[in-house]
Amino acid sequence: MPISFEHVGYVYSKGTPYEYQALKDVCLEIEEGKITAVIGQTGSGKSTLVQHLNALLLPESGEVHILDRVIKAGDKPKQLKSLRKEVGLVFQFPEYQLFEETVLKDVAFGPKNFGASEEEARKRAKQALKMVGLSEEYYERSPLELSGGQKRRVAIAGILAMDPQILVLDEPTAGLDPQGTEAMMKLFHALNHTYGKTILIVTHDMEQVFRYCDKVVVMEDGGVRIHTDKDTFFSDPDACRKMNILPPVLIRMKELLKANGFEVADDIITENALADCIARQVKKHG
Amino acid sequence: MGNITLGRYIPLDSPIHKMDPRAKIMAMLLVLVAIFFPAGWIGYAIIFAAASLTIILARLSFTFIWKAMKPMLFMLVFLFVINAFLLKTGDPLLTLGSFTLYSDAVFQTLYIAVRLLLMVMITTCLTATTKPLDMTLGIEDLLKPFQKIHVPAHEIAMLISIALRFIPDLIDETERIIKAQESRGVDLKEGKIMERIMAILSLIVPLFVSAFQRAEDLANAMEARGYAPGEQRTRYKVLKMEGRDYILLFCAAAILAGMVWLAYYR
Repeated sequence: MPISFEHVGYVYSKGTPYEYQALKDVCLEIEEGKITAVIGQTGSGKSTLVQHLNALLLPESGEVHILDRVIKAGDKPKQLKSLRKEVGLVFQFPEYQLFEETVLKDVAFGPKNFGASEEEARKRAKQALKMVGLSEEYYERSPLELSGGQKRRVAIAGILAMDPQILVLDEPTAGLDPQGTEAMMKLFHALNHTYGKTILIVTHDMEQVFRYCDKVVVMEDGGVRIHTDKDTFFSDPDACRKMNILPPVLIRMKELLKANGFEVADDIITENALADCIARQVKKHG
Repeated sequence: MGNITLGRYIPLDSPIHKMDPRAKIMAMLLVLVAIFFPAGWIGYAIIFAAASLTIILARLSFTFIWKAMKPMLFMLVFLFVINAFLLKTGDPLLTLGSFTLYSDAVFQTLYIAVRLLLMVMITTCLTATTKPLDMTLGIEDLLKPFQKIHVPAHEIAMLISIALRFIPDLIDETERIIKAQESRGVDLKEGKIMERIMAILSLIVPLFVSAFQRAEDLANAMEARGYAPGEQRTRYKVLKMEGRDYILLFCAAAILAGMVWLAYYR
């Protein structure tokens, strides 16, 4: 049980006219070694939820279990560094956190803060930059003069270099071009499959959820509305629509085909498989 | 960051909130001037009563004023220490070895403390009940007469409103960057000197970068919508003085006149 929320509540600006309850009695268990998507409308509490994972926000009520730590409401936990090393949090538009003179130094900043030696930090920074697809020629450039997509990759490398067990990403692909998005999602998928990292992604993109994630958490109005397998979640497109979620293209295509008399097996989850399925039936009747 | 109270607008529904910003600004200036007349304790009591009444009418809480006053306390302690060593007039109150505390040192500090408290109360009455945008509209109108001597009233008002508009944004941005860097292991509370300097640098650089970026975006957005400084512009919101605004101005003027009388003619 690496991550669990037990009756967690959180209030912003408590005791002022701006008071706002962002989380209400959240109970949630996140499985180890899986990619979990957190979806929900703006203001549903997604970002507040993920900031509890490395104790940037502390619960107002209830408790959060992360790895072997328990953070209870009202506690003033110490030694949060060790937790933050293990839970790498990438914020929305993380390129705003870049500040060093060179890309390499910026990426090495995290590991150094967590006590790695200069050499070790540089080594890990180089590995992380390789993972996000930035070659040696970028090492000595200023991160501030890169393009938006490259900055994003440097920022994400900065978290990867810390080698966290759990990786939490708040809309990591917002504002990236389609190729960049694809490359980024493949990277997270590989981190999960090859290195066994537990990954949490906050996203609005159902295609990403469908193609890369294992589990889906739907947040609504500060609480968890649904927490289930991805396949179970998308098997009922009408239920998705009721929550204002547009099912992915492939699911909608399957729906249309079924409505028009095609036989489509439920286990078809790739475009190629669906194309084969259509071709077979067209030939048969053709 | 969320607990900075000085100068913050508090959205409530009260007669003071509804008043014309021009009247409020003028009244505040009149009373602020009044505070500086040496009208003695009676004078301060009158101003205190008037300010308290305004605070009650505006439905603000006194704890809010107290929070705004807190940052001043350190300054007052500092001032008291200096006064205690430099002011050697009045009656000796207390002797410790070769050091003697005189009554004037205590009274001087108290005078300043009371004046500061009154100023905080009165300025808070204005800033907590006036939306920043209304405030700049008011300032622009009040500066209009000075356009004859080439005071760029509109530009000044625009500058102020842009600056005010960016304060909450920059606070949010700072919080965001703090969180992002804390996630990378920055520890703002402890650490060696070099680590602390690094930590602060890791906040300041991104903050500057994004502030400049925002400024540029805003300038472009304004130009794209045809903004040209110095041009004649019309206004969506037209301010109008009503009966209660004149009453407020009259009260403020009466307080000022009263203080002058108490100070010089009594």
